[in-house]
Amino acid sequence: MLDRLGLRVRILLFFALLAAGAVAALVGGGAMIARRSDIALAPEVVQGLLVAGFAMIGLVVWVWFLFDQNVARAIESLSTAIRARAHAGIEHDLAAEARAARYLGDLAPAAEAVTRTLVQTRSALAESVARETTRLAAEKSRLETLLADVPVAVLLCTADHQLVFYNGQAVDILGGGTAPGLDRNLLDYLRDGPIRHAYDRLAGAGDPDQASDLLCATVAGGRLLSGRMRVLRRRGDTTQPGYVLTLRDVTADIAAHTSRDALLIEIFDRVRRPAANLQTVIGVLAELEGQGDAPDLSAALMAEIETLTRAITDLGARYDAIQSDWRPLINTRSSDLLDGLAARFQAAGLDLETESPDLIVQVDGFELVAFWSWLASRIAEAGIARQFRIVIEEEDGPGALMRLCWQGQALSVGRLDGWLTQTLSRDTGELTARAVLQAHGAEAWPEAARDRNAVVMPIRNARRAGRRPPPIARRVVYDFDLLSKARNAAVADTRLDDLTFVVFDTETTGLAPSSDAIVQIAAVRLVNGRRVETEVFDTLVDPKRPIPPGSTDVHGITDSMVVGAPDVVEAGRQFHKFAEGAVLVAHNAPFDMEFLRRQEGAIGKSFDHPILDTVLLSAVVYGQLEQHSLDALTARLGITIPAEARHTAIGDTVATADAFLKLVPMLRARGLETFGQVLTEVRKHGRLLKDINAD
Amino acid sequence: MDGAQDRKRILVVEDEDNIAVALDYLMTREGYAQQRIATGAGAIDLIRETRPDLVLLDVMLPEVSGYEICQNVRLDPTLAAVKILMMTARGSAMERRKGLAMGADGFISKPFELKALRAEVRRILAGEPAPLEADAARHA
Repeated sequence: MLDRLGLRVRILLFFALLAAGAVAALVGGGAMIARRSDIALAPEVVQGLLVAGFAMIGLVVWVWFLFDQNVARAIESLSTAIRARAHAGIEHDLAAEARAARYLGDLAPAAEAVTRTLVQTRSALAESVARETTRLAAEKSRLETLLADVPVAVLLCTADHQLVFYNGQAVDILGGGTAPGLDRNLLDYLRDGPIRHAYDRLAGAGDPDQASDLLCATVAGGRLLSGRMRVLRRRGDTTQPGYVLTLRDVTADIAAHTSRDALLIEIFDRVRRPAANLQTVIGVLAELEGQGDAPDLSAALMAEIETLTRAITDLGARYDAIQSDWRPLINTRSSDLLDGLAARFQAAGLDLETESPDLIVQVDGFELVAFWSWLASRIAEAGIARQFRIVIEEEDGPGALMRLCWQGQALSVGRLDGWLTQTLSRDTGELTARAVLQAHGAEAWPEAARDRNAVVMPIRNARRAGRRPPPIARRVVYDFDLLSKARNAAVADTRLDDLTFVVFDTETTGLAPSSDAIVQIAAVRLVNGRRVETEVFDTLVDPKRPIPPGSTDVHGITDSMVVGAPDVVEAGRQFHKFAEGAVLVAHNAPFDMEFLRRQEGAIGKSFDHPILDTVLLSAVVYGQLEQHSLDALTARLGITIPAEARHTAIGDTVATADAFLKLVPMLRARGLETFGQVLTEVRKHGRLLKDINAD
Repeated sequence: MDGAQDRKRILVVEDEDNIAVALDYLMTREGYAQQRIATGAGAIDLIRETRPDLVLLDVMLPEVSGYEICQNVRLDPTLAAVKILMMTARGSAMERRKGLAMGADGFISKPFELKALRAEVRRILAGEPAPLEADAARHA
């Protein structure tokens, strides 16, 4: 039983026993003297014995105190520091601990020498591993870039559809609601039928070279995706293979096909009937021609012709309106289009100035650049001009005008129309200038002004560019170890390494969950023992009440910053989705959980995740007598929180996550491998914090 | 009805005989003095020679397009008084814009209703501005 007590407690018990023994010896000696002399002890003797007894107790306490300070505590501090260096990869020297252990003879210098050697050996090993992996990393990076930039979504999933790999396009396509994340289930994003059927078909066939084409829809946005699935090679007879899925968004294609088909059907429908009627009426007229009793069929003729005319006019206008939708035109920034033009003009030896407000124009950039540079070349070849200016200007409606201007001779519309039938260049094959105009649902014509001549082309869809959105991280995100991860439904029996964690922190208007509200939630995901850099949740929250200046001083969030932010119900819902299936981790979790759990009713979700608290984990590793604030914990673990990030939700979250990742191997070294084992140990420190897993 | 010397003179530039016959009948019945040419090539010379009040100009003509004839008329200051009503069987909003940009006073799509053609001819000859519909079509 004694071996389960801490060193300092055991030494305390030893000295207590010593003091009790000394006092007992004193009392026993006094009693023996009294019995032998058969007389009562004089009060002076009793007083003397009492003083001696207290003096002995005092001496023992004093010696215990010195021993505790200079031996027991120093040994504990030294052993914790050695463990941190052995398991958490900390490289600081042991100077502070060595000072505290100065009465332990050679122990501190020996420990210092051991840890220094450990650090040096580890550094040397890390260096050689790093050198060895540099080449592989370079290759990996090239592959990542390649996969990140392929224009289709690429996903790799386990047999039970957990995401192991995805690229930036997958984020675009699947991210209608919550962005995809590692170890999340693909079927949370896609309707499951086609995926399951394709997988069952391919896994049943067992041929890794076989692929299956499929059409599926997203759960959130109702997008239609065309895809191809291929299963991975089986790694053993028992393991179900994972699969690679490539997806392309075909919603617009299908909508365009559908509208074209519908229009075609309607054309036949609306033209066939009046045409047939006309044929009948004209047939009757022909037969009765010259006969006196011929009925007056002109009203019937006019009515049918009117129907036909209206149908053709209406359908023609609709064809005109939607024909450019049948070709995929891309939202392009006007500045990017003009950059492309400047490069082509320069390559053709022509001078070009450009001018445009910051617009987003819907065009086929490649074809349009080819069109204008070809046209300028034709004008130059005709000896009209070699210096040009391209101007894009907004129109009142949703469109814009693009003008190629020059000073000099005018261009006749006949000459321009003649040129427009020609092919653009060898690079563009059979593509004619007229085809480019048709693809854009546009026309081109010359325009003459006093000081310059121009060719004008309207662009049907253009709008003012808003603030440039943050660039989508064109990165691939993956963890192939997830493919071989043994899944265990019972969290308690699952090794910590196999769990997915969401580390989070909140900032609030104050400290009372009953009267204060959340103003920021941040979270990161830890998968397979590493922080997934791209999977970050960070949102301000509108607390629907003023933020007290005292709170703003702590976290820097002001009333104006939360204007337009989601309220706690919406933010809570998003956070719940982000944390789905994960173990929640927070520093002083009861505080944050209380704020969240009070919103469960409004959110319509329960925060019933398993929870770990880094305050308690710190207590397990370092003992209850240490400081367990986030600053103290991170300082002990050699983690630096930038001053500007401290007390921001994301800054504290990242620091807590890094601390947690360093605590896990230290827990493992103590034999605490599964979530259940850690929870049992944590509960021994329950007096520090409320046990929120028991809720 | 006005006397022959006061009648507005209309030149129809149209290569399709069937519609030309119908237009001849219609314009004559409306009291206009009507003349027709079937090709674009000789149209501009005929316009210079006869200086009609209005040219009913088809876009799709052999050899020289209606756009080109329209542009040439507008480039000749002596023909400033000649009004032009363009006609086309395609009639997309973009073609309408192109026609108006070339200086046409009006643009009508085939097939058209006779009353719409009559109204457009009267409007142009009266020097009235184009209805808003034409403007709206610029952005269709």
